[in-house]
Amino acid sequence: MSGPARAPSGDETIPFTFDGTAYRARPGDTLAAALLANGVGLVARSFKYHRPRGIMSAGIEEPNALVTVGTGGRTEPNTRATDVFVYPGLVAKSQNRWPSLSFDVAAIFGLAAPALGAGFYYKTFFGPAKHWMRYEGFIRRAAGLGDAPTEADPDNFSQVAGFCDVLVVGSGPAGLKAALEAAEAGNRVFLVEQDAVPGGSLLRDPDSGLDPAAMIQRIEALGGKVLLRTTASGYWDHNFLTLTQRLVEPGAVPTNGFAQRLWHVRAGRVVLATGLIERPVPFAGNDLPGVMLSQAVRSYIRRWGVVPGQRVVIATNNDDAYLTAAAIIEAGAQVVALLDARASGPAAPAGVTVYHDARPAGATGRKHGLRKVTAVIGGSEQSFDADLLAMSGGFVPVSHLHMQAGGKLVWDEAAQAFIPGETPQVCETIGSAISPPPAPAVAPAGKAKKSFVDFQNDVSLADIDLAWQEGYRSVEHLKRYTTLGMATDQGKTSNMVALARLAEKQGVTVPQAGLTTFRPPFTPVTMGLLAGAGARNAGAHVRRIPLHALHEAHDPIWQPLGYWFRPRAYPVNGENLAQAALREAQTVRTVAGLSDVSTLGKFEVSGPDAAKLLELVCATTVGKLATGRGRYTFMLREDGFVFDDGTVWRLAEDRYLLTSSTGGADRMAGHLSYVRQVLRPDLKCSVVNVQEHYAGIALAGPRARSILAALTGAEPPRHMGYAPGTLAGTPVHVLAASYSGERAFEIHVEASHAEQVWQAIEDATRAEGGAPYGLEAMELLRIEKGHVVVGGEVDGRSTPHDLGLGGMLGKAGGFVGAAGLTRPALSAAGRNNFVGLVSLDGPIPEGGMLITRAGTSPQGHVTAAARRILEGGAIALALLQDGHKRHGEELTVSSPTRGEKARVRVTSPHFYDPAGERYRD
Amino acid sequence: MILPGNATVTEPTSITALPAAPLHALEIWANPAKVAARVQKALGFALPAMNHSAANAAITLLRFEPTVWLAEGDVSVLADTLGDDGALTAIGGGIVRFRIAGPGWRELLLEGGVFDTSAAALPVGATAATVIDHVGVRLHVESDDACIAYVPSSYAQSLHHFWDEALSLIGA
Repeated sequence: MSGPARAPSGDETIPFTFDGTAYRARPGDTLAAALLANGVGLVARSFKYHRPRGIMSAGIEEPNALVTVGTGGRTEPNTRATDVFVYPGLVAKSQNRWPSLSFDVAAIFGLAAPALGAGFYYKTFFGPAKHWMRYEGFIRRAAGLGDAPTEADPDNFSQVAGFCDVLVVGSGPAGLKAALEAAEAGNRVFLVEQDAVPGGSLLRDPDSGLDPAAMIQRIEALGGKVLLRTTASGYWDHNFLTLTQRLVEPGAVPTNGFAQRLWHVRAGRVVLATGLIERPVPFAGNDLPGVMLSQAVRSYIRRWGVVPGQRVVIATNNDDAYLTAAAIIEAGAQVVALLDARASGPAAPAGVTVYHDARPAGATGRKHGLRKVTAVIGGSEQSFDADLLAMSGGFVPVSHLHMQAGGKLVWDEAAQAFIPGETPQVCETIGSAISPPPAPAVAPAGKAKKSFVDFQNDVSLADIDLAWQEGYRSVEHLKRYTTLGMATDQGKTSNMVALARLAEKQGVTVPQAGLTTFRPPFTPVTMGLLAGAGARNAGAHVRRIPLHALHEAHDPIWQPLGYWFRPRAYPVNGENLAQAALREAQTVRTVAGLSDVSTLGKFEVSGPDAAKLLELVCATTVGKLATGRGRYTFMLREDGFVFDDGTVWRLAEDRYLLTSSTGGADRMAGHLSYVRQVLRPDLKCSVVNVQEHYAGIALAGPRARSILAALTGAEPPRHMGYAPGTLAGTPVHVLAASYSGERAFEIHVEASHAEQVWQAIEDATRAEGGAPYGLEAMELLRIEKGHVVVGGEVDGRSTPHDLGLGGMLGKAGGFVGAAGLTRPALSAAGRNNFVGLVSLDGPIPEGGMLITRAGTSPQGHVTAAARRILEGGAIALALLQDGHKRHGEELTVSSPTRGEKARVRVTSPHFYDPAGERYRD
Repeated sequence: MILPGNATVTEPTSITALPAAPLHALEIWANPAKVAARVQKALGFALPAMNHSAANAAITLLRFEPTVWLAEGDVSVLADTLGDDGALTAIGGGIVRFRIAGPGWRELLLEGGVFDTSAAALPVGATAATVIDHVGVRLHVESDDACIAYVPSSYAQSLHHFWDEALSLIGA
């Protein structure tokens, strides 16, 4: 018998599959443990050479055993088999192989390894970009990790805040003691453990004086929070840490819909009890199935009852591996040889032959384990028949979080490792991570080409040597040239071995050779977890207008508008969008229509100094506005460019209503706050955002006035007049403003009463032959009227003069942006001016460039295109260089991306009722 | 009740949308001390300090900003005390009030949240303006067992849904 095995106990009750073959696992098995227990040692193919790979470790540092877990949208590629606990129905697949794991055609790359060393891509795939287009597909198919799922993840992801006095990372002996001590001192404690059970190294090396379960129970009883399957993945400023918690294993169906949780924790003090990662030993064939880290072997034996091999060679430079020898013998397997690189070591267990000054030089393998191990012992070679090699090249403290926190590392010569030093945050590292055991440097034996350092990226000692020969001296350059320390394991097992080789080449010490930086996340984090609950709605909740349900009954076409959803059109009788919008716009032009304008920005400004504040915010005159009157206005940034527009109304002696665009409402709220709090905190006024307090309903068309008069029982105010009123028994503000070009009103009503008001207006409007209209019809109407829209013609680069609004500027100045507007460049020739375009030969492509003839540079662009609503014929709005002086000129609109062109004549942008006579009764 | 640490909460936590109520923004821009004295005389309680609340049978004042209070209830008496030193503006149409009650309300508000909802940090009577899952929300701790959340109307439905889903995570 050879290879990994576990004696059945009857507890093998959990069915799972690997590459379609059914197996059974015990409760608490990781996938790696379960595979080894079932005799499976070959689980993966390597990244570049497609070399057979097995299971090297028992923890998150695993570089080899990457598998794809789950199906459909729950598929999770590149999952470490050592970091997924088997659940009923688990589906796992090997990756990066074809047609099968055992017979992978791409393994032929291994034969070509001498030609595929470090920098192969850089040396081979250069030249014109078109060549890369040919290479790319081939390279991406040949190399890589698992495939990303093509279906959407059906699960939810939670993001939650956490606060504690002490956050302890790691539930090994040091972490447990620290957490318990802090809890007993009355602190709020979080204890975080990435494993499914607490204990850390105690699970491998039990201590009769420490009972993890009892200690956890005590911590919780004192109010502490223990988070298992949770990884402290990021350590940010001010003791802010992000923790990633698996609520279910990868690929499993969560019972409550939530798969993972991202904790945002603010801790008073952080204690890092993160332990050590064992260092591999470089020798030829050290990546084969059957080569494992020594402590991992011990873990599989002691924690899971799995014996990874029956005839074992142990290679070490430290005392810890002697404990593994004892464990192997306890498990009934044979230690063929213990190769100790040192001249002496501790007493070995009975029956174990220890060779000093001994290093592994090579290994050959079979499918699920080794066949033979060759060692250099005292200068001569000796071979051993063995199916497993347990290696220990020393230990590396897990200092990632310490470094992310801004901490320094110091060199421990005895351990040949960096350990945590000073840190600028309230943080300390304890336990083995601060005091790794001694492990002297050992010169590798065996062929460098097959002595792997970074197993995940197929980087060998020879690749490091090659990079050195080619002039890469900095460790940062070495990393980028060889891909050392990249991908999912981020060099957890490779960094120190590589640094030692680099230092050797440079003839310096390891600390002199330098160190790369550890950055978050500590282990891979799924994108869904980062997106959180917003994963399916672009990161934010949809904002519903007050009348959402009422519109829904009309089955409109909805239009996302910022975070809002608004009706775009209300099709009837099978109309498409264009047909519905045209009908609605024609109804407004000929009868009347009503539209929901609730999303407009709305601000009530009150107090004795309200007008002073508004004269600062608005670039038009406001102070002389009579009570009951309003006017169009626009607002400038301090640099003089228009950033929003709207209307301002004097509701009472010292109370105004300012409206602004939907898209600019939040920006306007911030601007008003800035002006009120920063520029003029002395003003006696109040600015309150009432955007959501009021629902807004626009009623427009030649019959709007009579409809409204009948509904309110009062003569509506004249154009740009305001009157309070009552409609459907509800108090309303009636603002006589028009965006459509028709006689029109905005009726603002407290949102909670909006439905009855809308219904009354809709009933009355339909009775007159009118209908609701949506955003698309509104766009047709405003284009024909020549009104600008924020985000279209107001694009952040337009001045009032550019937009033809210069005549409305407050003559006294003093408003925000007045000084910026005096800059010569803002009145220089060649600026883009707001113009209209009339087509001479067909539809005008929206967004198209304005050119004089083919081959010339664009002189402007089309901001919005439409058709005349009643007469037909294509029209558009545009921004054109010196456009105000070019009315009558003929140009071409060209849209190369769509292959569309149109000849146009430049005109005034006001195509409809330029004198404004339709506003008047 | 909430047991320490990882213990499971067995009693239900509920989220209830409350009927629309008169809500006003009260801003005081001048003579704060004099206004405070007039308010105390008229209402029988002092203007609450930042992140605190005060109430009588008719009105509750909640302070979220340096110069602005949220007034919930009958503001007629309050309006008479302001003179030219402040103003009231109706905002109730744009806010939906939720009562989040039960043993898990503090934990629920950590979902998508950014601040400490423990009893020590947010005691009964306290107020807070914060962000929950990207939505600006104001909170008022009504009692040990309940908190009122003032949510912009446009986000009310989706935030209610968010909390409903997150209920299953309490104690997880």
